[in-house]
Parts: sequence; structure tokens; C-alpha cells
Amino acid sequence: MTQSLTRDELLRRGLAGGAFLTLPGLLAACGGSSAKKATSTTAAAQTLPRTITFSNWPLYLDIDEKTKTHPTLVAFQKRYGVKVKYLEDINDNDTFFGKIEGPLSQGQKIGRDLIVLTDSSGLPGRMIDLGWLEKLDKSALPNIKNLQPTQAHPAWDPNRDYSLPWQSGMTGIGYDPKLVGGDITSVDDLLTNPKLKGKITLLTERADTIGLVMAANGDDPSHVTDATFNKAVAKIQKAVKSGQVRQFTGNDYAPLLAKGDIYACFAWSGDMVQLQADHPGLKWVLPDSGGMIWTDNMLIPKGGNAYAASVLMNWYYRPEIAAQVEDYVNYICPVVGADKVLLKTDPAVAKNPLIFPTKAMLANVHQFDAKALNNTDYTKKFQHLIGG
Amino acid sequence: MMRFVRHHVLTAYAALALAYLFLPIVIVVAFSFNNPAGRFNYTWQGFTFANWTNPFGYPGLSGALKVSVEIALLSALFATALGTLIALALVRYSFRGSATTNLLIFIPMTTPEVVMGASLLTLFLNWKIPQGFGTILIAHILFNISYVVVTVRARLVGFDRHLEEAAMDLGANELVTFWRVTLPLIMPGILAAGLLAFALSIDDFVITYFNAGATTTFPLFVWGAARVALPAQINVIGTAIFVIAVAGMLANIFVQNLRTRKGAVAA
Amino acid sequence: MRRRFHRPKGAIPYLLLSPGMGWLLVFFVVPMWYLAKTSLSSGLFPLFSFDWSFGNFSDSISQYQSQFIRSGEYAAIATAIALAVSYPLAYWIAFRGGRWKNLFLLLVIAPFFVTYLIRTLAWETILSDNGLVVRLLRDVGLVAPGGRVLATSAAVIAGITYNFLPFMVLPLYVSLEQIDHRLIEAATDLYASKPKAFMRITLPLSLPGVFAGVLLTFIPAAGDFINAQLLGTPRQYMIGNVIQSEFLSVRDYPTAASLSFVLMAAILVLVLIFARILGTDRLTVSA
Repeated sequence: MTQSLTRDELLRRGLAGGAFLTLPGLLAACGGSSAKKATSTTAAAQTLPRTITFSNWPLYLDIDEKTKTHPTLVAFQKRYGVKVKYLEDINDNDTFFGKIEGPLSQGQKIGRDLIVLTDSSGLPGRMIDLGWLEKLDKSALPNIKNLQPTQAHPAWDPNRDYSLPWQSGMTGIGYDPKLVGGDITSVDDLLTNPKLKGKITLLTERADTIGLVMAANGDDPSHVTDATFNKAVAKIQKAVKSGQVRQFTGNDYAPLLAKGDIYACFAWSGDMVQLQADHPGLKWVLPDSGGMIWTDNMLIPKGGNAYAASVLMNWYYRPEIAAQVEDYVNYICPVVGADKVLLKTDPAVAKNPLIFPTKAMLANVHQFDAKALNNTDYTKKFQHLIGG
Repeated sequence: MMRFVRHHVLTAYAALALAYLFLPIVIVVAFSFNNPAGRFNYTWQGFTFANWTNPFGYPGLSGALKVSVEIALLSALFATALGTLIALALVRYSFRGSATTNLLIFIPMTTPEVVMGASLLTLFLNWKIPQGFGTILIAHILFNISYVVVTVRARLVGFDRHLEEAAMDLGANELVTFWRVTLPLIMPGILAAGLLAFALSIDDFVITYFNAGATTTFPLFVWGAARVALPAQINVIGTAIFVIAVAGMLANIFVQNLRTRKGAVAA
Repeated sequence: MRRRFHRPKGAIPYLLLSPGMGWLLVFFVVPMWYLAKTSLSSGLFPLFSFDWSFGNFSDSISQYQSQFIRSGEYAAIATAIALAVSYPLAYWIAFRGGRWKNLFLLLVIAPFFVTYLIRTLAWETILSDNGLVVRLLRDVGLVAPGGRVLATSAAVIAGITYNFLPFMVLPLYVSLEQIDHRLIEAATDLYASKPKAFMRITLPLSLPGVFAGVLLTFIPAAGDFINAQLLGTPRQYMIGNVIQSEFLSVRDYPTAASLSFVLMAAILVLVLIFARILGTDRLTVSA
């Protein structure tokens, strides 16, 4: 513990220890940041810049509605004496990528040290292939050991050299049992049950929609072949032609489900948590054949300050900090130990399987084949399917 | 009786048209008083004033709004000025290149937003212009010009030149005539064009998104937030702007009334 | 009516034009030039090479014919409805609005202060399958029993119409407000009935406004994508949706660029035909 305090003192810029009191007693435990590695000399040699620019999706960080600030960010700034410019300007993977690919392709900076993109868009993997990401400074990331083991080796970044999960989400079937007249547990039921004609929606997110249908076909979404892809597309096409599928949506399935305009849909776990707050009767399940899991990853774009970004990432991998964020965001936390912290402060959240899924659930979700995500033919086929 | 009906049919129709325009707004205002437990504002859960007492509860929302209003005002101003000049040139003068100019006015309106936004971004990148407030403003003035030209032109075409002739016969030169006769008479057209440009600007999403850099506007914020939540504060803010604008306009009319009345009394 | 105004030439028109057209030249024409080069390129993201592939254009037209046609149809229907709704409203504001004219103009654009997404969500609430409005429509027979309004062509067209109403109202108003009421008085003094006076005096004089309004509505509506995305099924998707996905999701910039140019050309052709029918000289140049 003494060692970590020394390292932290070097990182701070002469601010008093008052910051420790802002997080109720938890920092006293020095949760998880005791690094016994010999890399402390490397860390000590670097200093933090004045400002770190962090781009994220909106409403993806804890907010104190009274002070209109982000408490975990405020605490970080106090602790390290660094200003964090927090931007909530990522609202769609493809569109944001379309915005940054220009400067990155010409070797220019994009003015951000940290960004967050979804793995199922294929873009994090793509950016690694294109050489548009900086490597994480693991010397500043001792808390990386708190990463959930299931997240440790994604296919597109096997050693977590370039990315670290921010939040995850699961895709399954959301439905209103009263309108459906029972429970739905299979994708085939969703796509063929005549009682649901015109009352279901699928997602415009191709990894989720194709993945769920592939799993229902008995194929493995993490190893896509032309045959398995086409089979899934054909099945969806049939459901579209017959009028079974009402629409393909982003998360605008939520108002439709809430109002009963649709009875069932492919839905994201985080949305359901919010919907269930007002409509407790709504249910969400992983299909028998398996659901999908996606992860929003923190990435360092080329030209960003890798060290500073890594320090910031490290902060959010403290279980008590992750718990604070989780309490607000309510998606799936990638940090081990956060649920234990929340058990004391907000047990309802800690026990919600949509936020802290059980081992059984985690065993029943697939990740989409990263290579297939960047296959132009597949993308075009899917876009034709959904009408674009 | 029939005359009453016939005379008021038009008013009834106009009232219906306005009602149609405002139907969704009624819902928006109503839902600003909604009290959902979750983070979405889709179904009615209960009445509350809490959203109105804390309209800026979401950090970033008020900042985004400020940027949107500023850009809308500035771009409407500039686009109206530039567009009116073009309209004057096109309608009043015949010159070589008028056909090309006409074409060049139409083409931006036909361009899909995603294409215009992205190609403009490419330009800014190539010329190393940093993206932010300035580039958003440039983009908004760009797409607004065409709409202003078409609107103001509709006014200029029907304009009675005899009034200008009369002024010049009475000794006014071209500039004075323009300032004292022409401009006031085409002002409703310019005002309408300005309103149109303001509306286009404050609601723009796609073009703004590509050229905003790190700046956020109100539509950008809402679209982004919608993935995770739709706080009722958004409804509150929309309603508030509308109320403030209407109140401002009413005050303006009231002041004008006082002025004309005073004028009439003085005369 | 003949005017004795001569048409002055010289530097003045160019002076008037230069700031605005300069802006367009720099910020529009130049990017379009780059776009044109992209449309004649080929390859996969991010490596595109310019190689005069005119095939992109023919491919675009043949592959997406139905979306092009559908976009034209939806835009035309939406424009016609918008005209029908807006003309009486603009007329009323211009002729009966009195000193409240500007207030009503403000009211016409006021819905835009609330962002598109929120407005559309409100419409989704109003037109919900089990809401009052749709139940009423079912009772009356306008909607089939068990049918719906949302996620149909009707919903998409209604969304487009609603979104572009101010673009129709404002130019119409601008033209109507200018009409000298004495002309109408003179007509009725000469024993013309009110409807006849309207048809022979008001309507022709308001044609520049009609022309402007139709343009400002049809042109952007043809390229719209968002209404189809939120209110429609894949069967309603327009060419705007294709361009959007080719650009952002597939990242096939040559296809997206060529589709854009085909769309722009198609709209311009339609506009020219429309202008020819109406007789542009009267509508764009003062006599």
C-alpha cells in the first residue's frame, strides 16, 4: 500500500489529500491499485498533460443531477490535478468513424485522447488493422487485472493491447408476456409465430440480428461462413416478406414496446432495465440458442496521449469507481468487484441479472466474428435486407 | 347564415392547419410534465413539476442548446443577407451566367445531407481548418443560402416597380430608393426567409454532425442521448424556447401597436 | 402589364452576387469536385483509386431503380398534400392576419424548436396502434380492422409532409402578402364573383410563391431518409436511405457518390420539367 501511495503522490500535482474524503471511505481501502510491478519507475518518469480529452456516448457516465457534474470525473481531476474535457459526441459508431477517418487517414490527430466504440461494429478491429490506434500504456494500468476474465481475450485484440471495455450489453428478446400470451424463448418463434405477425422488430445492428438468427440456425456466430451467413439472411428475408417483421430499428423499439405497438423484439439489456422501471411487466430473456454480447471499448486514437488515457482508464477500473458509474449507467460492468461494492450501496442494482449477469447467462452469449464484420459483401447483403 | 359560414370556412381551415402543426407539440409539452421512473419518456406515468424546476439537470444539455441558438441566429442573419443580394441580382438584372447561377442555387438543395456533410468535412481537413463552432456556422450558412434565394425571389418577382419609379422621379437616387422603398416592401419576404433559415439551422443534424468537431448542438445531443435515455428536460427546453419566442413576438407586436397609436395621436 | 424599366447591365449584378456565390463556390463546388472524382473511383475502403469507372453510375441506376422511383413518388405526394394544406393557411395569414402576421409565421416554424426526434416520437404516440386516433380511423373504415398507421407508406409520407410544411407555407405567404387588394376589389367591382376573382387575380399572382414552395418542399423531400427509417418498413425505404448506408455502413464511397449525383440530376430534371410547365420566365424574372 505504501508503494502505491508513493506512485500516486508522484502523479499528483501537489493537491491536498482532501479528495480522498469525497468517496465515502472507499479510497482508504486503496481498492485494487497496489502495483507491485517494477514498472513504477517508468510511470514516475512521465507526467500528465494539462488536459485529457475523453469522447464518450451520451449519458454513459454517472451524473449528479443537483450539481450537474460527473462525480467520478470530478474526483479523478482532483486526485491527479488534470482537467478532463468530457465530450458526449459519439452517438453512432459508423457516423463517428466517418467523422474521424478523414484526419486519421491523413495522419492527423483528432483532438481526443480516449474514445469509445462498439466491438460489434467491427470498427475497433478495423482501426487496429489500419494502425489508427495507440497501444495502451500498461505500466499505468495495473487495474487491468480487474478486467472480467471472459473479456480478457477478444478475437480482434487478443492481448488487450489497444482496448479496454467500458460497458457491455447483451442482446436478447424483449417482450410483453401479456400481449404475446406467454413466454418467448426462441428466435424461430419470434420469426414465425402467426400471433406475432407485424408485431415484432429486429435490429439494424447487423452483428446482433444476424448473430441471433445464426445461433438459432445452430451455426456459430463467431465463425461466419458464406453459407451460414446466407442461411441467416434467407430466414430473415422470409420473415420480412411475410410481414412478420414490422420494422428494423435502432433503440427506437423501446417506445413501440412500451406502448404495445409491438409485442416482442430483439432488445438490448440496458434498455430493458430502463423500460422495466416504468413497465415492470416487460420481460427480457436470452434465447435458448444463445444471445449476443457486445462491448463498448475504450480506445486511444493515434495522436492521443497514451499515458494519460491509460491513467484515466486505470481510474475507471477501480471497483469502487466502476460501481459508481454502474449505479447510474446500468449496462454490464466489465470490472470485477464492482458488484460487491454495490451490494452495500445499491443492492437492487447489484442483484439485477441484466446488469451483473450470472455465469449461466454469460455462457449462453456469443460474440460476432470480427473478420466478418468488416466484410463488405456481408455488409451490403445485410443493408439490402433491411432496405438500405 | 351562409355568408357567415362561407366567410369563416377559410378561418376554420386555417385553424385546422395550425392545429395539425401543433398536435405533436401538445404531446411534447404534456410529456414535459411526465414523471417516469426510468430514463425514457415514452408513456405517461404521472404528473410532476420536477422537470420544470430542474430543466438543466443534464450537464451538456444547456451548453448544446446555447450553441444551437447562436448558430441558428448567426447563420440565418448571414444567409439572409447573402441570399437576398443574390435574389436581387437574379431578378433585377440580366447578366451572363444567370443560368449557371440559377443552377448553382438549386444544386445544394438536391444534395443528400450525408454527402454534403462529409464532403464539406473533407474540404476542412484538406485545408486544415479545425472543426468546431466556425465550421458548423460555415456549413449552415451554406445550405441556408439557397433556401433564402428561392424565398426572397418569390417576393421580388411580384414586386411593383412603379413605386420605385415614382421615388426616382421624385429625385431619389438608386441607393435611397432601395433603402426607403424597396427594402421595406420586400421585408416580409426577407423575414420569412430568415425564419426558414433559422428553422433549418436549429434542427439540422447530419451536416452538423460531420463538421462539429467537439462542439455539440441541441439536435446532436438529443440524438446521441436517445440511445440510452430521453429525459423529460428535453421536452421542457423545447417548450420553453417556443414559449419565449412567442412571448417575444407578442411583446414586439404590442410595442408596435403602442407606437402606431402614439403616432396616430401625435398626427 | 408592361413596365418601362430598362434592365441595367454592368458590374452591379456581379457585385451583388459575389459574396453569396463566392461562399457557394468555395464551400460547395470544391467539395462537389472531390465528390465527382470519388464517384468515378473504385476499390474498397479505405483504398479508392480514381479510374474513370463510369460503370458506377449505370450500376447505381439499375440496382436501386425502385428506391429512386419511390422517392420521387413519396416526395410528389407529400408536396401535393403540403400545398393543399398550406395554401389556405398562407392565404389566411396574408389576407386576414392583420398585425398578427408575424406571430403566425413564427407559429408555423415553432415546431422546429423541438428537435425532429422528439416531434416524431410524439407522432408515434399519437398514431400508436391502440391510440385514440387510429381506433377512430378504424371505426370510420379508413384503416383496416387490425391494421395500423405506423410503419406504412402513409406514415412515411405523412412524416415527410409534416416536416416540410413550413417550407411550403412561408414562400406562399411571401407571394400572397404582396398582392394588392385593390386588384381584387376592382375585379369584384366589375361583377366578378369572389371565387372568380381568386382564380383570375390571386392565384396567378401567387404562382411565384407556389413555384418556390413546391421546389423547397419537393427537392429536399426526395433526398429524405429519416422519415422512412423511423416510420417505415424496408419496403418504404427511399434512395436517401441507400445513400446513407452506402456511405456510413458499407463505406462504399464511389457507389454513394454516384448515387448522389444520379439523385441530384434526377431532381434537377424534374424541376426543369416543372418549371417549363409553369413557364419559368414569369416565375423567376420580374418583367
